[in-house]
Formats: sequence, structure tokens, C-alpha cells
Amino acid sequence: MRIDKTHKPWLVISVALLVLGLILYIVYAVGAPGGPRGGSALGLTFGIIGYAMMLYAGALGARKKVPTWRLGKTKTWMRGHLWLGLISLPIILFHAGFSWRGPLTAIMMWLFFIVIISGVLGAAIQHFVPSMMTTRVPMETIYEEIPHVRKQLCDEADQLVVAVCGPLKGETPAEAEEVTGSDQPVAAATALLVDIEQEDRMRFREIYLTKVRPYLEDPEKPNAELASPRRSAEVFDSLRRLLVPQVRGVLDDLENICEEEHQLSRQIRIYRWLHGWLLVHVPLSIALLVLGGVHAVIALRY
Amino acid sequence: MAEVHLTIDGMPVTVPEGTTVFDAARMNGIPIPTLCHQQNETPAGVCRVCVVDVGGRVLAASCVRPAENNMKVSTNSDKVIGARRTLVEMLMADHPVPCARQKHSGDCELETLARVEGITQSRFPRRLSPRGQDNSSLVIAVDHEACILCDRCIRGCDEIRHNDVLGRRGKGFMAGIAFDHNQPMGNSNCVSCGECMVSCPTGALTNKSVVKTVLPGEPVDVEDLLQLTYFQKVSGTFLELNKNAIVRRHFKKGEIVCREGEYGSTAFYIVEGQAQVYLATPMAHVKTQGGASGFLSNLTSRLVGRQQARREEEGDRRSIPIDAPVDLPYDNPVATLGPGDLFGEMTCMSLYPRSATVRAATDCVMLEMLRNVLDIIQRNKTLKAQLDANYKKRALDDHLRSVPMFSTLSPEFIDVLRHKVELVRYGKGDVICRQGDIADSFYLVRMGFVKVSEPHPGGELVLAYLGRGGYFGEIGLLGEGRRTATCTALDHVELVRIHAEEFQQMVEQFPEVRRNLEHLAYERTEQNRQRLATATSIPLDSFLAQGLMEAQSLLVMDLERCTRCDQCVRACADAHDGVTRLVREGQRFDKFLVATSCRHCRDPLCMVGCPVGSIRRRNSLEVIIEDWCIGCGMCARNCPYGNINMHPFEVMEQDPAAPARQIAVTKHKATSCDLCTEHAEPTCVYACPHDAAHRVEPNEFFRWLKEPSQTEARH
Amino acid sequence: MAGRTRTTKKLAQRINLNYFKELHGIPRWRRILSAILGGLGLIWLVWAVASGNPKPFNAGPVAHSHSMFGQKCSACHVSTASYSQAVTDKACLACHDGPIHHAEQTFVPACADCHVEHKGVYKMASTSDAACTQCHADLGAKDKNSPPKFEAKISGFDKSHPEFLMLRSGHTDPGTIKFNHQVHMDPKKGIRGPHGQVQLKCVDCHRPPGANEAWPYGTAEIVQASMTSGPVLSPGLPSRAYMAPVNYQEHCSACHTLQFDKRFQDSVPHKEPKVVYDFVVKKLTEYIAQHPDQVHVVDEPDKRIPSRPTPPIPRNAQEWVAYKLSDAQLLLWRKACKECHSLSYPQGDEKLPEVAKAQITTRWLPHASFDHEAHQMVSCESCHTKTMNSKETSDVLVPGVQVCQECHRSGSNAAEARCFECHTYHDWGKEKHVNGTFTVKQLTD
Repeated sequence: MRIDKTHKPWLVISVALLVLGLILYIVYAVGAPGGPRGGSALGLTFGIIGYAMMLYAGALGARKKVPTWRLGKTKTWMRGHLWLGLISLPIILFHAGFSWRGPLTAIMMWLFFIVIISGVLGAAIQHFVPSMMTTRVPMETIYEEIPHVRKQLCDEADQLVVAVCGPLKGETPAEAEEVTGSDQPVAAATALLVDIEQEDRMRFREIYLTKVRPYLEDPEKPNAELASPRRSAEVFDSLRRLLVPQVRGVLDDLENICEEEHQLSRQIRIYRWLHGWLLVHVPLSIALLVLGGVHAVIALRY
Repeated sequence: MAEVHLTIDGMPVTVPEGTTVFDAARMNGIPIPTLCHQQNETPAGVCRVCVVDVGGRVLAASCVRPAENNMKVSTNSDKVIGARRTLVEMLMADHPVPCARQKHSGDCELETLARVEGITQSRFPRRLSPRGQDNSSLVIAVDHEACILCDRCIRGCDEIRHNDVLGRRGKGFMAGIAFDHNQPMGNSNCVSCGECMVSCPTGALTNKSVVKTVLPGEPVDVEDLLQLTYFQKVSGTFLELNKNAIVRRHFKKGEIVCREGEYGSTAFYIVEGQAQVYLATPMAHVKTQGGASGFLSNLTSRLVGRQQARREEEGDRRSIPIDAPVDLPYDNPVATLGPGDLFGEMTCMSLYPRSATVRAATDCVMLEMLRNVLDIIQRNKTLKAQLDANYKKRALDDHLRSVPMFSTLSPEFIDVLRHKVELVRYGKGDVICRQGDIADSFYLVRMGFVKVSEPHPGGELVLAYLGRGGYFGEIGLLGEGRRTATCTALDHVELVRIHAEEFQQMVEQFPEVRRNLEHLAYERTEQNRQRLATATSIPLDSFLAQGLMEAQSLLVMDLERCTRCDQCVRACADAHDGVTRLVREGQRFDKFLVATSCRHCRDPLCMVGCPVGSIRRRNSLEVIIEDWCIGCGMCARNCPYGNINMHPFEVMEQDPAAPARQIAVTKHKATSCDLCTEHAEPTCVYACPHDAAHRVEPNEFFRWLKEPSQTEARH
Repeated sequence: MAGRTRTTKKLAQRINLNYFKELHGIPRWRRILSAILGGLGLIWLVWAVASGNPKPFNAGPVAHSHSMFGQKCSACHVSTASYSQAVTDKACLACHDGPIHHAEQTFVPACADCHVEHKGVYKMASTSDAACTQCHADLGAKDKNSPPKFEAKISGFDKSHPEFLMLRSGHTDPGTIKFNHQVHMDPKKGIRGPHGQVQLKCVDCHRPPGANEAWPYGTAEIVQASMTSGPVLSPGLPSRAYMAPVNYQEHCSACHTLQFDKRFQDSVPHKEPKVVYDFVVKKLTEYIAQHPDQVHVVDEPDKRIPSRPTPPIPRNAQEWVAYKLSDAQLLLWRKACKECHSLSYPQGDEKLPEVAKAQITTRWLPHASFDHEAHQMVSCESCHTKTMNSKETSDVLVPGVQVCQECHRSGSNAAEARCFECHTYHDWGKEKHVNGTFTVKQLTD
């Protein structure tokens, strides 16, 4: 999301509404005999408008559930959510007369502040972080599929090594052959089968199984040696020196696979920033709406 | 009958008048070696190996020289032997030793003769310019190097089989045998009867071992085969050689002969019994529901038919084209095939997946054959006539009606038209008509795929791929004008051809046809013009690298706005029965992700090979897949970008091991993006909360690439 | 990179196409937490409603005096026919009476309009200025009288409260007792008391009722002040709010004795002239009856009496009485009484005068309540600034609004300046007794 000049109409409307509300509130609050009250005519108006804005903001989630219904573009709803949600805070403050009152309303006010602040933070995050993700993760994939893709990367690496070294120890040939992914590495690597000593092959396999494969199996394990890009480059450099020149092609591919793993790890971290704040924003807003509804019902009664 | 008395090698013989010296000698037990003479053919006397000394100035070819009274013939004088030997030596000089026949069966007549004469090494140098091979025929290999120009094959084709395909070409050193007008044998009118091969003394014409495996089934005796009408003119030897390529199959009532979607390489000919051909895959589309959007439900995929949920992308086809003599009606895709019907041709000839499921309705006897045998019988004039008549009777009506301009015509018109059509065949790569040619016919595709294209800077621009039921060349029916595009056969193609003159006559009776035609022709021209207009820009390297040039519509996602929320994917799935038509993965271009979603390419490679013609282009843009897709996966394989996905669903089927039981079988249906044309904008674009998804025409959208000064405009 | 290539098809085919159908990770927890928190909130409130617990819905602590039934919503939120259980006047009137302000008001606010509950105030009566200014800021629109009888535009004490009525031009102290504050309280000279110079202090004369300290400068005739001495003050006001009216017996009699004749030590009673006359007659008659020989004694002229022709020598007791009576009358009516009182002779000079009513104003601000007790730490002259220089009775010595505004301003470093501090809305003169029907059990339940 970018908050750019296309948001201007919304900004203008919001500020206008806010100023209008402010004027009305000031006029009202100064002249109210008992002080500003949520239950007075204007207070109720503010409360209804504020709650309507909150409901609209909350309805964004519902709108996203029926994206094909032609209820207005989701883009419009999103902008409404941002701006109307933002000014719902001052409107509700007008409704409450800037006082917290009883336990229910105090909790609601706290929730409200947390929700709005988390929302503003979230909007800022979603403004800046996507381009960060784009720049820093060129090999980005779909977040939910990262484990699946990682498995495929591991299989691809296995296949690369199998083509050079034969079946990995402890696996049946059938298992070793069950791979998804491209057949190119096999073709490239098969050519190497010809002129490598068995001893070198075994050494390569050994190194692969002890150094590389554990990382590929569980890339998120803390303190994995290959998890750091710098360290990974060092490791592969040393491997290139250690092993016969014929396997360098395969090593390059393995290093590239590890690079992809690094990027996926980076993607995971950035993704958590991009979406983590929702864990605060959404549940609390649901609670707020529920409490708000009950509050409206009860307060109107009393 | 008058008699002639002569002496051969000192032995007096008496023979009826008109007998040749060779026959006279043979009748009396004196063998004379020959090469170009065959008993069942008119002697030609071209090889001169059979020369004998009859006391004349020159040696005489005994196979053509009639015996005369008081002739003194010498067959083994030094002169004769010397001549014979020299001739053989000369022939052996250019002969590839050992030739194919010698290798396979060890009985190359020339080499045998050479061995008999004791010639191991020719004194004469080999010719320098090679004569080449011709492997175009499916059944016979032609090796001109081994040809001794004995003329036996020509005589066999002309005299014995009366096919008149073979002839001579060239003169002197460049002389050789030729098929038709020196076409490759496979593209000629050769009917693969095998007579030439059987006649050939050397390895110039040999049987191709196409298949090494043996078809399972009961082998058919050659005599039985020859009983069948369309094998009658085929050389028995030839059939003997291809014995394993054709088998008799018996099917009990209810047995499945072949399943749609399976790959195969055989065709079937029904000898006895009735078979039912149908689409076992439900005529429906996959609907996937549940998962997280339904709060508590599981992910379920099921099928939804047209009645329950009609989709916008469906067309108005009334019949489904399949690889059989008859097409399946849409509403009830079942048809019956009977004795004399041949099905599975496309699968056999072009290796496409089976287009429908065939089940024996009664006990059946069928012949299953491989491509070489099919090729033989397809060239058989009788069978061809029978198949064509069959097609005209059963399928042509539907095909004609499926052409919009014919759809409203009266049955009388169609009836008249039916008899005036011609069925023509083309091989892979053949050009059916070229842009600029005078247009004189209209074509309907009966089988195979035709590419309609125009030359274009940087290559050719494919306008369409036409499969069974497709048609082109309506301009030709107006009797004027020239072809606007080039049509090429992509594989084994059979077309229904309507000549303009024939048509003109009919149009006089039915003037409204002409109006429709003109309208349609105009539309087609317009479409083509539009497509050309959009393709005039010169592509850039970076563009080409990803194949973006080919696309007419790209789904791009602005990665600086996209929050990776998957709303687009969910919306697409929502709008398309729970099956998403886009994947948020792919390569990037600048700051955009080019999502994996149908690009509606100008050159829709996906369309080539669909056995039932269910993937088609609706107007000029969007590619859609109809409900009768049988899930063979050709389109998904062909799409270079992975934009077509096969979606599994389960159906309950009879367990082949235990017929009383039903087991769940996973089948597939193909899906792809259809641009949501029923809405103002595609659903994915509509649903993106951050204005990050766009469906763009790539040349327009990325115009700033060529004009850097417009960078500001982009943002 | 040796063999690895990235094509769109390869990338896309890595993906399972149903990945988005199931929620994992953050979206899943988002949903779970939403359900939990929403559910918790709902359960909490529904539980509260179902079990009749008002605590969550309480809009704030009740006023201090209501805290006994603060948890019992139905005490004030009385059930009506409609959905709303908003507090109506009926609820308040079950315990309180809130008499009308006055009949000319054009609209009557509800109790709750001004007396806002659920703010935990100590005193519900502490209404905001806005409660008053909703009418008084523009009284013309809210008063049936036109023009309104009172100041039309008051919007607060600080800036727009008019000068107190008595201090506006044209108003004077209506008291008829002549009194010169400056003379009595001269800080330099003092004043002559019965036992020498004294320095009178404000508090010597101006005391709240019940203050029974003895007059320090002599013997006063202490009048036991009852709690309701003097004119009946407005009910409901603290009885020590106002100074008890200055009266002769307590405050003046020690110095201003009412002797009428040197023969007598007694003072005449400080009562109506007739009583005084009778007393003097009685006294003289008794005296001459007891001392008949004094009939013919000629007194020395009394310097206090204005000169007049020498009266003849009395011949008998009656004449002596008559002559002495006339002297005494002269002394009294023309001097002693006149010193302080205003006398008039409507029936002629020879008749008994009529003494104007004292008209000592006890309560200068009838529409506001003022409590000296609350201000006892302030020295009298600090507010009553004009007193030291006041020579005339007509001087209104009550401090003006500016004096009050020195302390009573808006802002936190000031004394209460809201309307209710001095004024009341309800006309407590019309208060009716509430016939309470609650039982103790009901209230404490």
C-alpha cells in the first residue's frame, strides 16, 4: 500500500469532518448544563457516527471475504478504512466528552487507542516495507508455500549431489530418484560422472551430508552455519578449494540454492513485520466492536 | 500356335511363337541371371544382365528378345560372361555394400549375383555425388544409393497395382525413380501397398521396422486381412512384414476399449459389433470450496455442471469434436460406432491423447493397428472413400452447422452442399494455402491442427490455431480476393474442402448465404487487422527475454504496493468456483511481478493438440476452456509459462479389479484465466485493496521503456 | 550459476494451488485471537447482564451521598414502559424535593440536566455554570417577563456577573439608625468608652448569632441570643452565616446609656416611646412620692438638654413630675434617642414622636447566600474595605463583586466561583416535604 496523492480526497474529507465535529463539539460542550455527555442528542450523534465508522472499518474484513460481490472496489474500502477509522477516534472522544467514565467505557477507550495506534503503525509499515521486501528478496516466493518450496530446494540439491555421487547413504535408489524440479542439473552433472574418482565423490557426498544438507533440511534452525550469507560464502569458498574442480558447477548450484534459502529466511522475517501488527490490531478491534455494540445497547437503555 | 525352333547353348529347343529367349531358356532348364526382369511384370530390358549372344552384332537382352527360328543362343560364352561381369562390376561400384536388404534378409539380388560371379571388389570408382535417401514414407525406406534403376518398382506400381505413382526422373547420371512429381514418398499419392518394395531386387526400397514391440492381441493372418476390402490392394508380403503392427481384439460387452486422456499410438477398426463412444469425464467444471474462507469447513473439490452454475466463458458449441467418425452432441455426449468405423486416427497418427472413452456396447471384434498399417489403409482408395462417405453422412452436417454462417441455412442447402464437399489430407508442415494466393476454396477441419498465420517483422504472427470443427478461408467462398493468411498443417490434417464454383452455384439459389458470408469475412478481416495493429511495435531485448512480447494481456503486480495479502488470489478463486486462475509467483520485470496467469498470447501454443477442442479463443483476446475438457493435460504441458493448471477432483468409478465395487479415481480438469469479461474489470484487479494488481497490455504499459522521458508519466 | 535457471513455469509449478485456502501462521492466529477476544468480551458482558451485575456498565462512581445504593441501578433507573430506563425526575423526587426556580422561567430542565451523576462528585449540588447560564446567559429568551427582571446576560462569575444590586448607583443602606463607622473605629484615636478610650473592633458589634462573649468594654445587657434571634433568616442557611443584627442591648447600651435624669441611675427601657414615657412617668412619680421634699429643688440646668426657658418651680408633685417629664422628654427625644434614631412627629411636636423602624439589613444579598463562618479567617476590613471611612449610615458597606472576585475566580488556584457556591436554583421557600416510602431494608438491600 502506498499512501500517495491519490489519498488526497479522503484526507480532505476527513479533515473537513473532523473540523466540523470539533466545532460542533466545542459549541456543545461549553454550553451543556451537565457537561458534555454521550447520551445527549449531539453526544449520541457523535457516538452513532463514530460507531458507524468503526463498523465500516471493521467491515473491511468482511468485504474481503466476498471479494467478488460488486459492493465497491476493495481499494475504496481500504482507503475508507484508513481515513474514517482514523477520525473515528476524535469523533468517539467527542462522544465521550473526553472522559473515560466507567469500567466498560474505560476498557473500550484503552482498546480504541491501542487499535488506532496499531493501525497507524501498521499503515506506516505497509507503506514502507513492501518495497523493502521487493529490493531485499529478489527470489521471493509465496510465504505460505515457503516450507513446500524449501522441500523442493532440498530435493533439488539432493538430486544435484546424487547425479555426481550416486545414492546418498541410507536412502534407497528409488528414494534418491524421486525428485521434483528441473532435469537440467542432472544433465549438467551427469557429464561429470565420467572423470571423478570414487574417493572424491565420497568426500563430496560426506561434506554435503554433514555441512549442507542439515541446513537445507531446517534452514530456520538458530545458529546454523550456513544461515549467514557471509559465512555461507566462506564455507563454499573453502569447499571449492577442498574438492576437485569438476564439482565446482554443482557447488555453484548448491551455493545458489543456499542463497535462495537465505532470501527466503529474509522474506519470513520481513513478512512478519508486514503482517505481525495485525495480531494486535484485528483481535482488539473485534473485541472493541463487540463491546461497543453491547455498550450502545446498554447505554441507550440506561 | 506356331512354334519356333532354336538352339541354346547347343541344345535345340522348341517354344511357342512369341516366347522370349529368356523364357525359352528357362523352360528348358537353362538359367540366365537377371536383375530387372520379374516374372509378373512386362520385361523392360534395362539392366542388360541377361544378355546372351544370339550371333548379332551386339549382345541381346534375353528378357525382351523374342525367340526366332534357327537362332543360335549362347548364354555362357566368354563374351557373354565377360559382359555380364563387367555390368555387375559397374553396378557394384555405386552399390552401398551391404545394402539394407542384404543386411536384413541377406538376399540383395545384386550382391548375390556379384558373389556368384566372384566379384568382390569393383574396379570402377564410386560416383561422387550422393543420390540420397527418402524416409518420408512411414512404411518404406527409400535408399537411392542402392537403386540400380531396374524399373521393377515402377512396373509393379503401374502394371500390377495400377497406382501409377512411381516413375522416372532425370537423365543420365541424374536419373532416378520418383514418386509423383518427384515428391518425397510419404507426401505422394503412394498408398503404401508395398508392391514396389516387394519388387525391388536390392535394398533401394525396404520395409521400415517402425515398431519393435508387438501389440498385445491376437495376430491376424495375412489371408484374413486380405479378405477385408481395404487391404485387398495391399501387397501380401508387405502385410506379412508388418504382421505385428495389426492385431485382432475381442471385447466383451461392457469392456472399455480405450479411455479418454490416455496416450496411445493405435487406431481401431470395428469389424463386428457396436461400440459406444462417450466422454466419461463429467461435463462440468471444478468447484473448490471451503478451507479458511468457510470458517469450519474442509477443503472440498467437486464438480458443478452447466445446469447448476453456468459460467460466462461457455460458448455455444453444440457438438464436441472427437477423434472418431462422429462428433458428440453437447447435451448428451454419447454416440455409437459400428462395423466399418475407424476411430483413434489422431492418436495413432499424431500421438495425441485419446479424445473420448469407447466401450463395447455388444461383443465386438476390432482391429487395432499401429501407425504404419493405418497409413497403408488410409491411402487405400476404397477405405478412403468409405471413411469419407461415413464422415459425410454422420459428422459433416454438424460440422457445417457449427460454422456460424451455415448455422442458419436450410436443411436442403446443407444437403446439396454435403455432396459437393471434398476431403483432402495434408501432412505435417504442409502449406495448405499461402497469403496472397487466389482464394478458391473454403476449408473445414476434420482432423488435426492448422496454424493460421501472417508474416510479421521478427517472425510470423499466429492468428489462430484451428482444430477439429474449425474452419477457414471463407473469403475463398466469395469467389474473389486473395488469401489473407497462410495456413499450415501442424500434424496429420484432414480437411473438408468446398470449392468456390460449387458454392457459387448454390449461393445463387440461397442469396442470404452470401450476405452472411460477407459479414463474416468482414469480421474476420477486422479482427486480423486489429491484431496486426497491436503487434507493430518493435520488441526490446528485456521484453523478449521473458516472452512478454507474446502476451496480449499481462497480470502485473506492483511490488511496492503489494502487501502480499493474497486477496487477488482469493477473489479469483471466489469468482471461479474455488479454483484460482492466478498464482502470485513468477519472474519480475522492473518493479512488477509478472504473475502466472494466462497471458492470452498472440500465438496460443496451448491450443495445439487439444483432442476435444475445448480450449479456444473466444473473441480475439481471451482464452477459455469449456466444460468438456477431458483433463489430458496437453494444454498445460504446452503453455510455456505454466499458466494452465490441472485441477484434480475425485469421481467414483468401477474398480477394474472388482467390477462390483466402486473406487475413487482422481481425474483432472484444466483451468486458466478468462479475463473476467463479464465484469468491467478483472476480479483480481477489483479486489486488490492496495491498487497493486493490474491487467495491462504490455506494449502500452511498458511504453516508457522505450521513451525514458515519459518516466514521470509512469509514476 | 551453472545449471540453475528460473523460468516462470518452473517457479509457478512449485506452488500448491490451494495454499491460500487454509490459514496458517499470522492469519490463523489473527482469527483465533479475534474469536477469543471477541468471545471473552461478549461473555464478560453477557454474564454481567445475566447475573444482574451492573459493575461493568457503570458509567462512573455515583455521588458520595448515593453510594449506599450505588450498585443498585434500579434505584434511579426506574423501569418505564418503553425500552429506555433513563433516569427521569420521578426517580430523584422519590427522595428529594426540587422546588421550582421561579414561575417566569420558560423551560424547566430535568434534574439530571444539571445534577450529573456517575462522576463520583462529593456534592451533587455542585452544578456547572452552564446549568445556570443556559438561561441566564441570555435571559430575555428564557424569561416570561419582558424585559426580564434580573440582569439579562450573565455567563459566569468572573467576568460577567453584575455588581451586587445594593452597590449599584441609586441604592443606599435603608437603615435609619445613625451610625458613623469612622468615628467609632478610628484607628488612631479610638473612642471614649465608659472606662476610657477603647479601640472598637468589627467583631465587637458584628457577631454571628450565638456568639455570647461579653461586651468587653463595659457591661452590656446581654441578651441571650437564641438561635433564631432577629429576623427569620432564610431556612436552610447555616445559622452562623450572617452576623446577627446589631442590637442596642448587646452592642450599644454599654456606652450609649439611656439615663434620663441625674437622680436615677436607670436607663429608660429601649423600647417604644410610649413605654419610655410611661416608665419615666412611673419613675418620677415613685420618686416624688418617696421624696416629696424634692418637689421644690431646682436642678442645675442639664447641659445635655438644649437650652430652653427656665421652667417655673414646680408646686406640687404633679407639677414636679410634669416638669421633670418634660425635661426628660427633651433629653431623650431631642438628644439621646435622636442621637441614633430618626424621630418624626406626625402628630405634632408636643406629642410623642414616632421612631422610624431601624431597618437594619441583616442580609444584603437576598438572592445569594453568604457564609461569614467560611470566611472567618479573613479580617473584616479586608473585604469590607469602605467601613473605616464610612461616616454615613446610608453607606452600603457590603463588599462589591470585585472583592469577591479576588478569590472567587475560575481556575484551580482560586476559590469556587461556580454559580452554586452562592446561588441556588431551587426556591427552597417552596420546599415540600418528601413523604418517604422506602424501608430501611429496601435501601440497604
